[in-house]
Amino acid sequence: SAPAGAASGASNSQSRNAILVSRRQQGNPVLKFIRNVRWTFDDIVPDYVLGQSSCALYLSIRYHLLHPDYLYFRIRELQKNFRLRVVLCYVDEDVIKPLHEVTKTALLHDCSLLCAWSLEECARYLETIKMYENKPADNIQERTDQDYLSRLTSALTSVRHINKTDVVTLGSTFGSMASVMSASMEDLARCPGIGERKVKRLYDAFHEPFRRTSKQLRLSSVGIKPIQEAPK
Amino acid sequence: MLNFQEEIVSELVQENALAVVAAGLGLPSILAALVRLHSSSSGVLFLLSVPDDLRRGLRDELQAQDIGAEQPVEINTQFTAAERAEMYSKGGAFLVTSRILVVDMLNERVPFHKVAGIIVNNSHRMTETCAEAFIVRLYRSKNKAGYVRGISDQARGLTSGFMKMERVMKSLLVKKLNLWPRFHLSIATALEESPPDVVDIRVPLTPSMLAIQNAILEVMDACLKELRKTNKVDVEDLTVENGLFKSFDEIVRMQLDPIWHTIGRKTKRLVADLKTLRKLAEYLIRYDAVTFLKYLDTVRASEGVKSVWVFAGPAHRIFELAKRRVYQIVRTDGEQVESVVKQASRAVSKGKAQSKNKGRREQEEEEADAKVSGKGVELEVVAEEMPKWKVYKEILEEIQQEIQSRPADLPEDSWKSEARVLVACKDERTAWQLQRFILKGPEELMREEWNNYLLAKAELHGMTLRDKKKSRSKPQAQPQSAHGLVEQTALLAACAEVVALNKMEESSEAGTSGKRCKGKGKRKKRPDNTEQQVSEEPVIPLQNTGATDMSLEDVGASSLVPPVQYYALESDQYRILDTTGPSYVIVYDPDMKFVREMEVFKAKHPQRRLKVYFLFYEESTEGKKFEASIQRETTAFETLIRQKASMIIPVDQTLDVPSPQAPNSVSSRKAGGRKNMEKHMQIVVDMREFSSSLPCVLHQQGMRILPVTLEVGDYVLSPEICVERKSIADLYASFSSGRLYHQAETMTRYYRLPVLLIEFSQDKSFSLQSANEVGDDIVPANIVSKMSLLVLHFPRLRIVWSRSLHATAELFATLKSNQDEPDAERAMRVGVPTEDGLIEGDVRAENYNTTAVEMLRRLPGVTDANYRTIMDGCKSLAELSIMPFEQLAELMGGQRPARMLRDFLDAKFPTL
Repeated sequence: SAPAGAASGASNSQSRNAILVSRRQQGNPVLKFIRNVRWTFDDIVPDYVLGQSSCALYLSIRYHLLHPDYLYFRIRELQKNFRLRVVLCYVDEDVIKPLHEVTKTALLHDCSLLCAWSLEECARYLETIKMYENKPADNIQERTDQDYLSRLTSALTSVRHINKTDVVTLGSTFGSMASVMSASMEDLARCPGIGERKVKRLYDAFHEPFRRTSKQLRLSSVGIKPIQEAPK
Repeated sequence: MLNFQEEIVSELVQENALAVVAAGLGLPSILAALVRLHSSSSGVLFLLSVPDDLRRGLRDELQAQDIGAEQPVEINTQFTAAERAEMYSKGGAFLVTSRILVVDMLNERVPFHKVAGIIVNNSHRMTETCAEAFIVRLYRSKNKAGYVRGISDQARGLTSGFMKMERVMKSLLVKKLNLWPRFHLSIATALEESPPDVVDIRVPLTPSMLAIQNAILEVMDACLKELRKTNKVDVEDLTVENGLFKSFDEIVRMQLDPIWHTIGRKTKRLVADLKTLRKLAEYLIRYDAVTFLKYLDTVRASEGVKSVWVFAGPAHRIFELAKRRVYQIVRTDGEQVESVVKQASRAVSKGKAQSKNKGRREQEEEEADAKVSGKGVELEVVAEEMPKWKVYKEILEEIQQEIQSRPADLPEDSWKSEARVLVACKDERTAWQLQRFILKGPEELMREEWNNYLLAKAELHGMTLRDKKKSRSKPQAQPQSAHGLVEQTALLAACAEVVALNKMEESSEAGTSGKRCKGKGKRKKRPDNTEQQVSEEPVIPLQNTGATDMSLEDVGASSLVPPVQYYALESDQYRILDTTGPSYVIVYDPDMKFVREMEVFKAKHPQRRLKVYFLFYEESTEGKKFEASIQRETTAFETLIRQKASMIIPVDQTLDVPSPQAPNSVSSRKAGGRKNMEKHMQIVVDMREFSSSLPCVLHQQGMRILPVTLEVGDYVLSPEICVERKSIADLYASFSSGRLYHQAETMTRYYRLPVLLIEFSQDKSFSLQSANEVGDDIVPANIVSKMSLLVLHFPRLRIVWSRSLHATAELFATLKSNQDEPDAERAMRVGVPTEDGLIEGDVRAENYNTTAVEMLRRLPGVTDANYRTIMDGCKSLAELSIMPFEQLAELMGGQRPARMLRDFLDAKFPTL
């Protein structure tokens, strides 16, 4: 599926489609290797803007050895304007301690650390994040086969404890996915091998609304801080 | 038990030590004696890393030494934690998996004061961070009085690597090293007092085998020269002689591993080629001509274009000669020659075909006629026999004569029972083949192999009866294309015949009447009724015990050969000699360990007769390998003896136990680390992680390890930090299986700071991919693309890159520094659904019907882009299922996805 963002971006403005590079990065040899995506200099806070809500800071281990506080101040400047904040670390020295420090700084200040061992690799990360801005995660997700039964199995087994045999039972009893979804509790319960609990799980999956309203909240948060994030 | 075995045991008992014993000197007896010295009243004895076959050997040996002896109890996952604790408290000897014992020790299920001692077998495998070392350390920190004993029968394993022996001893926390080489005075005298009679038989290789072997060695040499040119490896060890050993890979690997990513594809290829060639050299001697050819074919098909060696000059010779050993192409110029050749070849490749009724035969002959005259060539099957076979048979006959002539003074019965023959060969395959050889004779055996070869070939070409005239040439470059093609055609024709024959056999039950032709390449036709009977007998299926009883009593030809038991050396039965008690042993494939076992057996029964026949191929790699394996063990022991003399061992090694305490690197800013002094740092660790070394290293760092079963993550550092640990290989694997995506998803759901830990190994290069793998374009399969997708989809996932195990442990300590301690109870519950399907602490579950959302996203046509709008526009899946197409199209932003979804929902479930 073509990413919708990229399509509209092409018509909007040129800079939408390009990596924005901070003028601080002038002379960085990484720029020479960015070939698959266009890039332009711009006045931006991070070193690279890789999409509407992604940015990257660039750091080499050697530079960090000279300026150990640099990364921290750069991250602080970013504030909370980006959803994805990458620290791209060029590992030009195989020493443990500085990488340690970079890791810790990035981790505690909400940045995703990516390490690269060559300038080409650095450039490839920048390009790829830009290119994949709106790409679905299919490439790293579990793949399902495209035939009907595998798809049906994949869909129905998202309900806990439903196994492949149950899928076949449900399919042959009700004839189609739509009929399975609209089946009543009694009908579901009549299927061999589908016990009381499975019936309830299935029925809840089909009939409970996708979004629960506050009334339906059945469990209060237990000690773990709530994380405000919509499912992707 | 022999004197020296008692000596070994008593020295071990006197003082905690690491005993290194030469291979084959009766490890089960030594272990059994150690177990017998322990009684359950004195507490618990743990036996670690005892593999299954040795366990069996140990049990039998215990039984043999003392019928009433208490057998050690095997602890595995069948027992629940409570049951294990109960068993430990009762005392006794336990064969236990290290992983289980570590967890039990950490959970304090082991009564440390009751543990009398620990015996670690295979000590040469130990490292400072392995589970066994962890166990020893945990034990020592709680119990200073008990004993720890290490045993190893792999001297070589202790000499490879830097200070290997010292490190092993340090892991065991022992100060003494006992060495028991074969040349040790007491061992040598014991074994050489009444040695077995040895008959050494050198069998010459056939000229073509010798030529193939030389060609292989030549190609190897060429590859090695090429490898030397790369200047990446130390040349000294790289000789063809070394190349014949498995350890050669280790040598090369050890040198190349740290720079593995920098070396080019060609060098890697060369390393792989050398391995292939080494295998070829071995198989040349082990497999018969047809099987060897089959193997060569597979090798060529599977690595044809990629490998370098196939294109070397002598490589061609290997292929040609291997073929010549099996079949030849004969030009059929004159009519008479043709018919003769044809007949011969038919006789060979058809075998039972002639037993069919006449009409069919004639019809077939016509077919064949047409084909042959068209091509003008025929296959003549040579099918060279293995030279050892003949000698083997002769030996058996000799033994039989001896058995029959000898027993003048002895009563017949006792003589017969003693006159047992044991044949030791490399694997069951060889055993099976030898058995068939004796049953059927070489010609029949080779014919069967040849038919199998043709059948396999036919299958490969997808040949059926109909398209048998179709000739396809292989993709590989045939050097003499014209000749090659002719040969190919002839071969395929032969295939077709066999296929046809097979079909016929299937359709018509094989008739017993009719004359039968048994043929081999010598153009002989010989009706042979007795032979037929033998061949019709089902081949005795080989039992997986490795030693197969073959009673030839009923078979006609049996008077010539005595009953024989086969023993596959690979099956590693420690007590095979004791259980069979042979007077004759034929060592078909020489093996150092087995030779020692025979020596020990003879020393145990000095009055018994034991005659040993050794079969070697002259001028072959086999003999060289056998001699070198002895040489290498001797050298290893010599090295160990030298090292022992100059070894530096701290006097208080046993006191050098790090007790859990705050790490030294406590920052002085936090009031001198006072907080840490109050209680230990804790880390919740998933049970499954105990197969890795990290828990051990963390413990060394002074952290408290809480082993539990975790649904989410591998390590929980604090209520907020959860870590999924991946080695590089794991990382690649879990990316392609989609597992990592799922793990990242659940971690982000339950923890504020989900961490993906990418852990490199200390001795390998520090990079994800080699420079030449980066490439110029964005490739979806590249690791960079996958990492990018991961960070894009999980912006909250923190990635930690760790250089090594120890770096990880340090990182964990820093990450924990100002966090609360994790709660094992809570960590265990995370991600485990409660009865009503809700998951504790799952914030999303409170706002969303997660199962329904998950199912929705798995439906065809639903994408990351449109599923939210679907959720807005329709309440539940049930509602979705009855939604008309138009409305779906609106919600899903297009006709196409809506069509896909609607079609899927309405599709009729296929009847099965």
